[in-house]
Amino acid sequence: MNPVAVVGTGQTNHAKARPDVSQPELIREAVDAALIDAELTSADIDAVVISNMELFEGRALPELWVAEGAYGAGKPVFKVATGGTSGTSSCIAGFHQAGSGSFDTVLVVGFEKHSEGHTQTGMALVDPFWDRAVASGALGNFALSISQYMAERGVTEEHAAQVAVKARRNAASNPHAHLKMPDLTVDDVLNSRMLAEPLHLLDMCPQSDGAAAIVVASGNNARKRGSKAAWVHAAATRHDQPYLGDLDRRLITTRALSSAAASAYAQAGIADPLRDFDVAEIYEPASYAELAWYEALGFCNDGEAGRLIGTGVTSMDGELPVNPSGGVLSTNPVGASGVIRVAEASAQLLDRAGDRQVAGAKTALSTGYGVYAWSDVIVLRSEMP
Amino acid sequence: MTDSQPEYVSVTLELDTSWRYASGDPMDQFLRRVAQRRIEALRCPDCGRRYLPPRPFCGRCRVPMDEWVPVADTGTVVAWTVVHLPIIDGRTGEPRPSPYGMALIQLDGADTTLNHYLDTADPELLTIGARVRAVWREHQRGAMDDIIHFEVLP
Amino acid sequence: MADAVGRQRREVAVLGGAEIVIVPEDSRSIPEMVLEAVEGALHDAAVQWVSVDAIVTASVDLFDGMTASSIAVTEVVGAVMKPETRIAADGLAAAIHAVHQIAARAYSTVLVVAHGKASMAPHWDLTEWAMDPVYLQPLGVDFLTIAGLQANLMAESNRVGRNAPLGDGACAVVLSGSVPSGAAVITGTGHDLDAHYPGDRDLSTWSGLQRAAGRAYKKAGVSDPATAFAVAEPSCMFPHEEDLFVEATAIEQTTPLSPSGGLMEGTAPIVSGLTRLLAAARAIQGHPGRRALAHGAWGPAGQGHAVAIVEAT
Repeated sequence: MNPVAVVGTGQTNHAKARPDVSQPELIREAVDAALIDAELTSADIDAVVISNMELFEGRALPELWVAEGAYGAGKPVFKVATGGTSGTSSCIAGFHQAGSGSFDTVLVVGFEKHSEGHTQTGMALVDPFWDRAVASGALGNFALSISQYMAERGVTEEHAAQVAVKARRNAASNPHAHLKMPDLTVDDVLNSRMLAEPLHLLDMCPQSDGAAAIVVASGNNARKRGSKAAWVHAAATRHDQPYLGDLDRRLITTRALSSAAASAYAQAGIADPLRDFDVAEIYEPASYAELAWYEALGFCNDGEAGRLIGTGVTSMDGELPVNPSGGVLSTNPVGASGVIRVAEASAQLLDRAGDRQVAGAKTALSTGYGVYAWSDVIVLRSEMP
Repeated sequence: MTDSQPEYVSVTLELDTSWRYASGDPMDQFLRRVAQRRIEALRCPDCGRRYLPPRPFCGRCRVPMDEWVPVADTGTVVAWTVVHLPIIDGRTGEPRPSPYGMALIQLDGADTTLNHYLDTADPELLTIGARVRAVWREHQRGAMDDIIHFEVLP
Repeated sequence: MADAVGRQRREVAVLGGAEIVIVPEDSRSIPEMVLEAVEGALHDAAVQWVSVDAIVTASVDLFDGMTASSIAVTEVVGAVMKPETRIAADGLAAAIHAVHQIAARAYSTVLVVAHGKASMAPHWDLTEWAMDPVYLQPLGVDFLTIAGLQANLMAESNRVGRNAPLGDGACAVVLSGSVPSGAAVITGTGHDLDAHYPGDRDLSTWSGLQRAAGRAYKKAGVSDPATAFAVAEPSCMFPHEEDLFVEATAIEQTTPLSPSGGLMEGTAPIVSGLTRLLAAARAIQGHPGRRALAHGAWGPAGQGHAVAIVEAT
């Protein structure tokens, strides 16, 4: 792929509800922040890609109304939506547009305003003949997969709770995060309300209102600017079959994520992920997912995810800090969550991650997850490919 | 001194619509058999995978499927959970007893797994590998909830 | 505004495509309809499944009554263990994105698929949910309303009439950066989103199309649109829109519009623009140097536009 780079990022302060802004205004907040970060104006933007799961807000073609928030009127604009991977897929779409030669600078903005919709109804609009008849919902589905994962890979509720604690404590250093819990303990997580065995309330991601934006520059443009940039070294996507029952022990086999990671690592020359990455922002809808992703992404061997979290390898002061931002576990406006992964990973390489900065980060990983197993894997570096 | 929250103007809109979904030929045939308490899967001619639900195309091999194979209404639990969130039985409109057990069930004769309810919410009785059998409603209409739940066999 | 960076860097061939017959109500499921279009497209393009590097799909969740609606077609578009991107806009926008993917050298051969079933729910009523929920939607405004406003503004045009019949359809096109000799190639693309509020637009014109076409012309090196095109394939839902199309694209007034049958013969939501690309490629194939203009539109009274220029080699 032709070289492109992320040259600026911006986010809203994510929250349970943002009644103070309309959807376009929510976008505008993130976009203005990204433009300032990139030292650009709206006139410099050649194209816009919007990410949003509009059925959660009960909308259709939302970019028609909200694109104005991204200064989109009179510009090439369209929306990408692929479930939970919408954000990362939109970023990759932005990479493709910026690498095409047609656009010097592309703005990608993802948003969701769960408080203005009925997410449960949106989530219930699954396949009407199969999935709807016997609905356990996303939560029940994930819990089912976790039972297999625990049985085969030996992770415990305590390991998962440690992930949840790491996430919310990290979030306390992130001004944008929705759930900040600097004093959260493993016991707090284990004592929180049981939703679906073994998922406790605090093992799950929230629903948030929020937006996040990145500014992507073509290689020529990024070089001309001469300033810091987070260069895209790989971007891989894999989708998979449409029913949960199609996938064999999905948190164990992780077909789509493993395939996407293999492709991305080969493209980017990543041989030993734990050593080669300085920081990772991975998409974890539940605490157990992060453990499964450690193994799928090659941070450790199968069965060692519990050891990884237990020995602090993925903590802020560990060998590979995972989700310094607090992750999806702390902040989850669905259409934005994937963009946040890329924005956070980029901010780390741009040395603009504030109190959550991993010192000297030069190689970053960001991933997206959605539906039953769709996966995006993106590798960024401070140096040009 | 009280800190008053500003009141924001908002608009409330209600979406009330329905969609006509076409089931497609494989699902149509499948559900007609379910109405007779028969379960059948479609088998891929290339990889041999027996699919529930049936669909016109094996996504892995990229070939059409038209070979039907019988599937028992007994199977093995490959994953389970107990859900504590309330849920309405789509057939009766009444809340299902909560908490309730759910599982991914490998029916005998199929390669994909079926997500369905269990007759118990007791974690002591729920294990991967447990054998289960479908409990059918008295009257079938050709839908996956013609099976009320699966009973865990001793 | 920095606009269009110059010539399109990589020619993209339209290797082939197929569309299913559009009917008022197709009794088949969406996967079945799309499978027919996809198998037809691969056959027409003489491309095997294994050669498809990526897929771009087009569908709208509210129209399909399904969250993440592209999940219904994942298997039949060959997206299992492959990259798929779903654009929620007219199918021609999806094709334009595929062109960008190929030009960026991310992928070489991309399958573009669009589907829509107007029979599933009252289509125009659903479009209310695409209008600003504070200022427009509470008035019951939908795409039909705004089109009506625009039609009335065009006082000189007697061409106010019924909209193109909306039904169920699916279309698939195979695009590739490997250009066989004699292929129809896409030499320029452009898309645009106009302002949303009718009061912010000059409804007597399609300024969004003017901008989109301008971007495409620049990339394709078209300096005089009036002499450039042998045929045009517009996406006009209403007769009066044809005048808007000709004016905004600045093509010769007598240019044949959809000579082999356009939207007025029947079309489906989201599918229209992609069928125009296929028709455009077919119209010029075998006539080296001949050019056609393909157009897609979405939103109220043409808020969004997409344009692709196809040339025979």
